[in-house]
Amino acid sequence: MGLIARVIESFGIPTVCVIGLREIAERVRPPRAIHLKWPFGHPLGEPGNRAQQLCVIYIALQALYTVRESGTIIDPGWRWRREEYEEPDRWDLP
Amino acid sequence: MNDFDWLRQRLESAFGQFLSQAPELARLWGQWFDAVEGEPVPLARLEKPLREARLALVTTGGVHLRAQTPFDMHDSHGDPSYRVIPADTPVDELMITHDYYDHTDAERDLNILFPLELARELAARGAIGGLGTCYSFMGHIEPPHVETLIRRTAPEVAGMLRQEQIDAVLLTPA
Repeated sequence: MGLIARVIESFGIPTVCVIGLREIAERVRPPRAIHLKWPFGHPLGEPGNRAQQLCVIYIALQALYTVRESGTIIDPGWRWRREEYEEPDRWDLP
Repeated sequence: MNDFDWLRQRLESAFGQFLSQAPELARLWGQWFDAVEGEPVPLARLEKPLREARLALVTTGGVHLRAQTPFDMHDSHGDPSYRVIPADTPVDELMITHDYYDHTDAERDLNILFPLELARELAARGAIGGLGTCYSFMGHIEPPHVETLIRRTAPEVAGMLRQEQIDAVLLTPA
């Protein structure tokens, strides 16, 4: 996925990846990545957990504005199934 | 597919399913993964506010329309092709073909992997400027198909995103 992000970014379109394996991202270097140590097949969280899913989308879209260095990996530190999420109420980024 | 390829595919499939349940092992595997390493690519800038930005989704989770040809699970080196997913595709017309991870939960709620419905909702309420055509690949691509991905199929998708004047892309893995 990081390779695809690199190609798209090289076409002038900003990208952000949600990743589960930091070790791969550190080597492949996608331009911007959100690292969540969650099980494969669950990049945005648990089924039915709308607030969790929207929180991941929000932090990913926010990275489009905040990341200043290519290859940056943001780690929100959200644990699997042990966090309370609130749906973001404002999306007026940047 | 010969017997060796079949055996390798079954082992890798079982390995992928196992890693889904064992995140620590998955991280170790990541250290060994023979990925293509890269120098940082220059950042493209998102110059407009999110409410004006047209977003597209790209996943490597093996999502495709039921009417489309499934990803090739018989080639043990993966399938570097992609599927075009129109932004207004009803979620019940989508399915996942990918033997290397457990997608049971994603089939219950596709938003955990490919948040098409949530992105449409964000567009409808004006949080983003719109949702463009989305694309799906299958992860787990090894040489020689990595070259096809980098030189042909990913640039084709990038070209279509640019043609559609997409401002930003959110990528989600398996």
